[in-house]
Formats: sequence, structure tokens, C-alpha cells
Amino acid sequence: MRDWEELVERRLNGLALEPAESADVIAELAGHLAETCEELRKQGTAEEEAVRRTLSQVEDWQKLTRLIQTVRTKENIMTNRIKQFWLPSLLTLLLSMGLLALIQVFGPNPWLVARKSGWSLVAPVAVVYLPWLLSLPLIGAMGAYLSNRGGGSQRAVFASIVFPVMPYLVFFVVALPVMAIFNDQLAHNIMFGALFVGLFAWVLAPGTALLAGGLLAQFFLSRRLDSRRIAGS
Amino acid sequence: MIGTGIKRGTAELAVLSVLEHGPLHGYEMARRIEQQTKGALHFTLAALYPMLYRMEQRRWIRGSWETSDNGRRRRCYCLTPAGKKKLSPLRQEWSELFQALRRLKKVSHA
Repeated sequence: MRDWEELVERRLNGLALEPAESADVIAELAGHLAETCEELRKQGTAEEEAVRRTLSQVEDWQKLTRLIQTVRTKENIMTNRIKQFWLPSLLTLLLSMGLLALIQVFGPNPWLVARKSGWSLVAPVAVVYLPWLLSLPLIGAMGAYLSNRGGGSQRAVFASIVFPVMPYLVFFVVALPVMAIFNDQLAHNIMFGALFVGLFAWVLAPGTALLAGGLLAQFFLSRRLDSRRIAGS
Repeated sequence: MIGTGIKRGTAELAVLSVLEHGPLHGYEMARRIEQQTKGALHFTLAALYPMLYRMEQRRWIRGSWETSDNGRRRRCYCLTPAGKKKLSPLRQEWSELFQALRRLKKVSHA
């Protein structure tokens, strides 16, 4: 009796799915081929001819492998991307923005970083919300935890941690220069110093705070995972 | 014989229709479709399974492993509520298409 599973496994050589999923696909296709061959044999077809006609159902095994691979991974990729990146990122962004808004309304006065000229502050002035900055390591840690729990790669975890500063980065690096190019008045009034101070106050400082918490969480999470692996082996 | 493009379009409708009467595994599904369409629709393994997996990902059908009387493990597919919901507008679309083609035929004969 022909080993259809062995045959299908050999022909679907490049199928890169989870081992259990691959085994399911191989078993299912092998079952189909076995039944086709059996049916042909029952109808009186000689074994060699039955096998030939059964195998003729698939002209190109590589193409079939690619098709199955695409169909079965497309959905997983989407689900994984949501679990590993979009969900943690959007949650950290929402939390950090919400917290900033609350601190701006109910919190203490911001810390103004600027040069002093007599009694007044001279531009560029950076507005720093210290309670917000202090809360960011926790938010970064949460992003790292959620992405890690979803099975995110190092890159996905990193992106989830720093995602809350992305809107500010886009504003200072892309939007503001583009606006300056198209708006003469803005270009005339904009100060390069203010741009850099803004970049520091809204991107670098919060980004560092997020990373401090996020990377620390990631370090402990990966250590816990390693110790589990060692215990399991 | 029906052309490949039309067949591809009708394949999903055929699978949903045949599963409307109860769960079936891939081989049996292909056999029933071929019998009921008098050979007009013929599914090879290469055509059937990628489509079944796609329909499963869309949650129109659901597969589960069962063991047959002869001890062979088979993956049986059944229609999900989403699949049942999809079947009716699909039928409607194809019915409208065939009616339009029939009208076109009458016009060309007139």
C-alpha cells in the first residue's frame, strides 16, 4: 500500500507553516489522494494507472505549496501584526496622550526650559511636563509586555515602546519643515534652536523615558522566558 | 464545457451550496459537485484545497477532524453562520448574471 503522506510531505517540501499545521495539511491532502486512488481501483483501473491519474490532479506541486502557504499565512500575519504591534502601540499612544491631557488640565505647572534675559524667558522655550515624563517608563513597559505577550519580535517590541513619540517625531521632522517650505511667514519666524529644543523636549526625552521602562521590562520578560525554556528542556 | 474563469467564480458558490446539506470532507465534496453538475464542475485537489483554506480563513466554512468507519482521519467542513449568510447574495448575483445572459441570447435571436 502506497504511503501517500510520505509522498505529499516530500512534494510539499517548501511549505513553511507551523509543524502541526503542516502535518494537518499533509494528512488532509494525502487522504484525498488515497481516496481518489482507491475509487479508481474499485472501478477496475490498474494500480499503476490509478496512481498516475491520482497524481495528475496536481500539475505543479510548487505552485500548490505557494498557494497553500499564501492562503494559510495571510490571515495569521494580519492577526499577528495586530497583536504584536498595532494593539500595544495604539494602547500606549492613547494612554500617553490621555495622561498628558489630564496633567495639562489638572497637574502642576510645566517646567519651562529657556534662557533667561533679566526677569523673562527668551525663546527657544521647552515646556516639560515632569509628571508625564515620569509616567512614561511605565507606559513603555506596558507596550513591551503586550507586544511580548503577543509573540512580537525585538523590532515589534521596540516599535511598540516608542510609538507614543512617533506623532511628535513626524511633526518636528516632517510636518514642520514641509510647512516652513510652503509657508513663507512660518519660515521667516521659525527658529532652528526652537526646532531642536522641541525635538528634545517632545521626542528625545519622552522616547528615552519610554525606552527606559520598555527595555527594562523586555529584559526581565526575556529572562523569564529563558528560565522557562531551561526548565522545560 | 464551462471556461476556467467562470468556473473559478462559481466554485465558491458550488462549495457553499453542497455544504448547505451537511458537513463533507474534501474528496466527497469534489465528488458530489461533479455528480450534481454532471461533470461541468470538476475539482482537482490542487484547485479544491487552496479554495477551502481561503474560505475557512474568511470563516465561511469550518473544518474539524473526524475518524471514519474504516479508521481513516478526515477533515470535515461545515457551513458557518457567516457562510450561510454569504450563500444567499451569491446565489442572487449568479442568478441575475444568468438571467442577463438569457435576455442577451433572446435579443440576439430576435
